[in-house]
Amino acid sequence: MPQNRWLSWLSPLLLVVLWEAAVQLGLLNRIFIPPPSEVVVALAKGLADGSMVADVLISSRRIALGFLIGAIPATLLGIWSGLNRTVYLLVRPLATMLYPVPKIALLPLVIVVLGIGEVSKIVTVAISVFLMVVIHTIGGVMQIDQRFFEVGRVYGANQRTLFRTVALPASLPAIIEGWKLAMGFALTLIVGVEFVGASNGIGYRIWQSYELYSIADMMASVCVIAALGWIITIGLDEVERLVVPWRHTVKESRMPLLKKWWGAVRPWSYTAAIIPVLLGASIAAQQGGLNWLWLALALIGSIAIQGGTNLMNDYYDYKKGTDTPAVKGTGGALLRGEMTPNQIFWAGIIAFAVGSTIGLYLVYMTGPFIFWLGLCSVAVGYFYTAGPFALAYVGLGELAVFIFMGPVMVLGSYYLQQPVVSWPAIWASLPVAFVVAAILHANNLRDIDTDILNHKRTLATMLGRAGARVEFYVLVGGAFVSVLVLIALGLAPWPTLLCYAVAPLAWRLMRTAATEDAAEKLHSVLRGSAVLHMRFGLLYVLGWVIALWV
Amino acid sequence: MQAAPIVFIQAGLTYPNGVEALTDISLTIADQSAVAVVGPSGCGKTTLLRTIAGLERVSVGSLQVAAGAKRAMVFQSGLLFPWMSVADNISYGLMTRGTPAEQCRVIAREWADRMGLQRFIDAYPHQLSGGMQQRVGIARALAIQPDIVLFDEPFAALDAQTRLIMQELVCDLRRQGVCGTMLFVTHAIDEALIVADRIIVMSARPGRIIADLTPQLADVPSADKRALPAFNQAFADIWAQIRQEVDVQMHEGVN
Ligand SMILES: Nc1ncnc2c1ncn2[C@@H]1O[C@H](COP(=O)(O)OP(=O)(O)O)[C@@H](O)[C@H]1O
Ligand SMILES: [Mg+2]
Repeated sequence: MPQNRWLSWLSPLLLVVLWEAAVQLGLLNRIFIPPPSEVVVALAKGLADGSMVADVLISSRRIALGFLIGAIPATLLGIWSGLNRTVYLLVRPLATMLYPVPKIALLPLVIVVLGIGEVSKIVTVAISVFLMVVIHTIGGVMQIDQRFFEVGRVYGANQRTLFRTVALPASLPAIIEGWKLAMGFALTLIVGVEFVGASNGIGYRIWQSYELYSIADMMASVCVIAALGWIITIGLDEVERLVVPWRHTVKESRMPLLKKWWGAVRPWSYTAAIIPVLLGASIAAQQGGLNWLWLALALIGSIAIQGGTNLMNDYYDYKKGTDTPAVKGTGGALLRGEMTPNQIFWAGIIAFAVGSTIGLYLVYMTGPFIFWLGLCSVAVGYFYTAGPFALAYVGLGELAVFIFMGPVMVLGSYYLQQPVVSWPAIWASLPVAFVVAAILHANNLRDIDTDILNHKRTLATMLGRAGARVEFYVLVGGAFVSVLVLIALGLAPWPTLLCYAVAPLAWRLMRTAATEDAAEKLHSVLRGSAVLHMRFGLLYVLGWVIALWV
Repeated sequence: MQAAPIVFIQAGLTYPNGVEALTDISLTIADQSAVAVVGPSGCGKTTLLRTIAGLERVSVGSLQVAAGAKRAMVFQSGLLFPWMSVADNISYGLMTRGTPAEQCRVIAREWADRMGLQRFIDAYPHQLSGGMQQRVGIARALAIQPDIVLFDEPFAALDAQTRLIMQELVCDLRRQGVCGTMLFVTHAIDEALIVADRIIVMSARPGRIIADLTPQLADVPSADKRALPAFNQAFADIWAQIRQEVDVQMHEGVN
C-alpha cells in the first residue's frame, strides 16, 4: 500500500534530517556526533584530495590478492577432497579445526613469520578465505546427488567427463556461496588488519581518524567501506548469474545488469534535471564569479533526485496498474519482468538519499532557503504519482513540472551562487519551464486513449484531443515567444536568440502533433520534445554564457 | 546382434547390508523384444534393471549382456542434469562417446523435434513440466541409438492424462523401431500390457519370477489395445498373480 510505503521510505530520511537538526540546534555534541552534512564534507574532501580513493584502492588490492591466493587452491583442494576419500580424511579435520579460530588472532603470528609488510596482510586474508572456501566446497561436492554420477556412468562417461559434466557443475552453487561468504570475511578482516599493522588503506584511515578524534572522517570512511562491500556483493551476484545460469530463469540471466538499470533509471531524461541548474548558475554568473564545487554538487544532487523520481514513478505506476504493455517507451522495466518492484523501490530510495545528502550539505553551507526549496521539490517528486492525491492523476502534472523544473530549480541553483531571491532569475527561467512542460504534455497526448480507459486524469484527457493539441502549441510556442518578450523587457540578453536555431524542429513537432492520432507517431513527438528541451535549453544557457563577454 | 542380448541364469543379488533383493532369476530376453516387468513395490524391479545397466553385479548365478551392447536408461525421477540445457541433456550420451559438438547439436534438435520439444531446446529442465522432462529423458536414452533401453517406472510421477499420452508416445517409438530391446518396469498392469508384448510378474522381496506371459493382443504396438476384450482378460490374469504378492508385501510392512 502506498501509504505504508510512504512511511517506510520517509523514516531513514527523517532520521538524517533529525540528526542534522539535533546537532545544528546544539542538542547533540558536534565533537562526538558530527551532523550528516559534516560527514558529507569529510567524504567530499577525501575524494577531492585523492587520499580516500588511494586508500580504497590499496585495501581493494589486498582483498583481491588475498582472495585469489586463498580461494583458487581452496576450491581445487575442496573439490578433490569431496571426490576422494583419502584426501578428504587428510584435509577435512584440519580445516574444521582451524575454521573457528578468529583469523585476526593469527595476524601477530603471520607478522612474526613474514614481517609487517604487505605480504603478511595479504596472507592473513588468504588464510581466512582459504578455510571458508575449502569447507564450503567440500560440503558442496559431498551433497551432490550420487544418482547423477550413475546417470553419467550409464551414459558412458569416464572419470574426467564425470568431473567436468557432473561434479563441477553440481557443486558450483555451493562453491560460489563459499566465495561470497569468504569475500565478506575478507572485507571485515582487512579493516582489522589495517587497524594494527598498516600505514595506509581504509582501515588505517578509520583508525587514524579515531586517533585524531575526527569523527566525521571516521564516519565517511565507514560509509566508503560499506559502499565497497555493497559493490563487491553485487559483483559476485553477477558472477553467480553468469556461472550458475540454471539457477535463474533464462530471461533473468540473459539481461545484463547494467542494461536493466539503464532502462529503469533512464539517464537520457536527465537534461530536465541538468539544464535548470546550468541556467540558474549562468544567470548568477552575470553578477560575479562561480562556486564550481557547489554547482557540481547541485548537478549531481539534481540528477539523483530525477533518477529517484523516475524509479518511484515506475514503482507506483506498476502498483496502480496504469502502465500496461500497451504503454511502451517510458519505464516498463518492471512490466518486462526484468526487475522486482522491491529492487526499483529501494533504488529509488537510495537515489533520493544521495540527492538529499547533497542537499543537506548545500543547506548547511548556504542556509535554510535551499532546504525549503529542496523539501518542496522532493515532496512534489514524491506526490507526483504516489499517495492518495497524485498530482499526475488529477491534471496538475504539467503545472507541477512547469513550476518545479523551471523557476524553482533555476532559482535554487541561482541562490547557491548569489544568496538572494531574484525575480529576474525567475522570469528568465520561463522559456525552459515551457519546454519541460511540453515534454510531459507530449507524453500525455500520446497516452490519451489509454489514460481515459484507466481513469487517469491528465490535462490532456480533460481537454480532449483537440484541446490537448492546442495546449501543445501553447507550450512549445510559449517557449519561443517568452524569449522574445524577455529580451524586449531587458530580462534576458540578446544572445539567447540562439535558441531560435531549433525552431525548425519545434515546427516539425507541432505539425506532427497536429495531424497524427496514432500512439507510435505521437511517441516520436515525445522523443522529439525531449530532444527539443535539451537543444533549446543548452542554446538558451549558451546565450547567457556568451552574454558574460559581449 | 545375437539372438538373446540379455540372459540371467539362476541369478540372485544381496546388497552389502544383507537385503536380498533378487533370487533365482532365470530369464532370457530376445533381441528387439519389448518386455514389461511388474511386481509389488520394493520387490527388486529397479535392482533388476540396475544389474543390466551395469550399476550392480549379481552376487550368485550369472547375467550375460551381449558384448558391446549400448545401454540406455530412463529413470523414474527423470534425473536430467539441471545444469544442462534440454539440447545438452539429450546429446549427453553422444558427447561422452566423443561425438563432435555440432553433430550433437544436430541430433539433439532432431530428437527434440520428434518429441515435441523444439520450443524448449535451450530451456533448463526446471522450466519444463514433468511430462516434458520425461520426454527429454526418453530422448536422451534413444539419441544414442541404444541396443537395450531400460525404463524404470518412467511415468509413475505423472498425472493420469499425461501418462496416457506418454504411453502412446512409447508405442509410436516402438513402431518406428528405435527402442531396440526394451525392458519396461512399471507397477501399472495396463501400462505393461500397452507398451510391451511380454510380461514378467515378480514376487514380493526377494524378487523371483512368478509368471511370464505373452498375451496375444495386437500385431503392432498401440494404445488402442485397451479397447479389446482380451485386454481385460489379460489384466485380470496378471492382477490375480500379483494380488497375493502385494498382500504379502503389505503384511511384511514396507522396509
Ligand atoms: N543400494 C541399496 N542398498 C541396500 N538395499 C537396497 C539398495 N537399493 C535397494 N535396496 C532394497 O532392495 C529392495 C529392492 O529394491 P528396488 O529394486 O528398488 O525395488 P523396486 O524397484 O521393485 O521397488 C528394497 O527392499 C530396497 O530397500
Ligand atoms: Mg523401483
